[in-house]
Amino acid sequence: MSTTDGRRIALVTGAAQGLGHATALRLAADGFIVVVNDVVDDGRLGALAESIGGLAVPADISAAKSGTDIVRAVVERLGDIDVLVANAAAMAMGPFLEQSQELWWRQIDVNLSGHFRLVQAVVPSMLRAGGGRIVIIASGWGVIGYPNATAYSASKSGLIALTKGLGRELGPSGILTNAIAPSYIDTEQLQVDADDARISLDEMRQRYRELIPIRRLASVDDIAGAVAFLASEDAGAFVGQVLQPAGGVTMTRA
Amino acid sequence: MSLSGAQPVAVVTGAASGIGAACVEQLARGGWRTAGIDLRPSATDISAQLDVTDRHAVREAIDAVITRFKRVDLLVTAAGYYEEGIPVVDITREQWDRMLAVILGGTSNAFSAVLPHMLKQDSGAIVAISSELALGGSTTDLHYVAAKGAVLGLVKSLALEVALTGIRVNAVAPGPTDTPLLAPDSLWRRPDYLATLPLGRLVTPREIAHTVCYLATSTMYCGEVLSPNAGAVI
Repeated sequence: MSTTDGRRIALVTGAAQGLGHATALRLAADGFIVVVNDVVDDGRLGALAESIGGLAVPADISAAKSGTDIVRAVVERLGDIDVLVANAAAMAMGPFLEQSQELWWRQIDVNLSGHFRLVQAVVPSMLRAGGGRIVIIASGWGVIGYPNATAYSASKSGLIALTKGLGRELGPSGILTNAIAPSYIDTEQLQVDADDARISLDEMRQRYRELIPIRRLASVDDIAGAVAFLASEDAGAFVGQVLQPAGGVTMTRA
Repeated sequence: MSLSGAQPVAVVTGAASGIGAACVEQLARGGWRTAGIDLRPSATDISAQLDVTDRHAVREAIDAVITRFKRVDLLVTAAGYYEEGIPVVDITREQWDRMLAVILGGTSNAFSAVLPHMLKQDSGAIVAISSELALGGSTTDLHYVAAKGAVLGLVKSLALEVALTGIRVNAVAPGPTDTPLLAPDSLWRRPDYLATLPLGRLVTPREIAHTVCYLATSTMYCGEVLSPNAGAVI
């Protein structure tokens, strides 16, 4: 426990919208003091922090010093960090041969290297707190791959390997690292995908549904529920695992 | 699953001890009505004493649960036993047949007895207890590992078969768990083995029960294998 009133502290990256937003709300409802991060605060991050009595720490996690800056701000204002939810992600769809170096590195820098450095900055704080939980948001595409999403898939596969390595290395210190690999989630991203495919949002939903054995898109609350489970005492024997609340898309290949 | 309405109903095989008993305890605490199937009496609302290899008896017991509670929302198949320290060439035909009959046959018997009722409701969750050994392999207990591995095949296939219904089928593959199934002198209790695990300890039955309860109330898992295993298989 990291605060004087016994509440645990959770840090969620990419929390301005979608899954990160829902996760922040869920962890707050579960009693955590939640620190929310996103690349900039366009008003949504601060409003979220205020609504849940948490703290907003806007920063681009791909920048070299962001990890240490974020952690210093949290420790000074609140205390040591118990739970990290590594959710922020950059994504650009496009044919492999047309992927620029710039797009490749943007996705690798945010999704993989940014979280690598953030974990490095967070671990000493977790050790002071006597242990912790790291929940990495990977992706079903990082498990089975996907056409026109090679860089994104590679970054998410990298996160799965990071999860397994951290699980082994930090497990003995009481820091449990696990990942969640969702597939199709009903978020704001679907509108971007629909615009990209020049179809309506409902047509996009239907197209994705047909790729899912149970024919249902995950809600952000389904995935936030998986985060809450991994962050809870109930999941004390999970380490280095990849949960796939994906309706059967990846069929447990992680 | 109608968790908000009437009290949900769970059937647990192997309910009298170990992981099954821990599941019963956890479910009862969460407001579930429970029916146990075990060779011995279980601390459940209904206790059916029978051998899970008896297909007919399993079906009768589950039909009796429906008669009394009118529904079944969850099946947990935890019935099983363990034998270790046997080199593969020394596993007898009888040992092999019995292990397959209890673990794979028993699981399949319970699946097929509960499925018609869940299909009628168009809802339900099935959680099979497999083993981390089925993921990572093992020595000197090949018949057990083969049976637990086959359970995963059963789970993934049934999960797909009923994917378009409201029924979810998944598995939990526990790491070595501190239950009566592990003899006091089991290889899995030895300090030199435990030292190889990232968490350095056995898993508790309660941790498995929490995982079962989580799967029972989550609707996005289909053919998934969750493995709370203390780091035995990563």
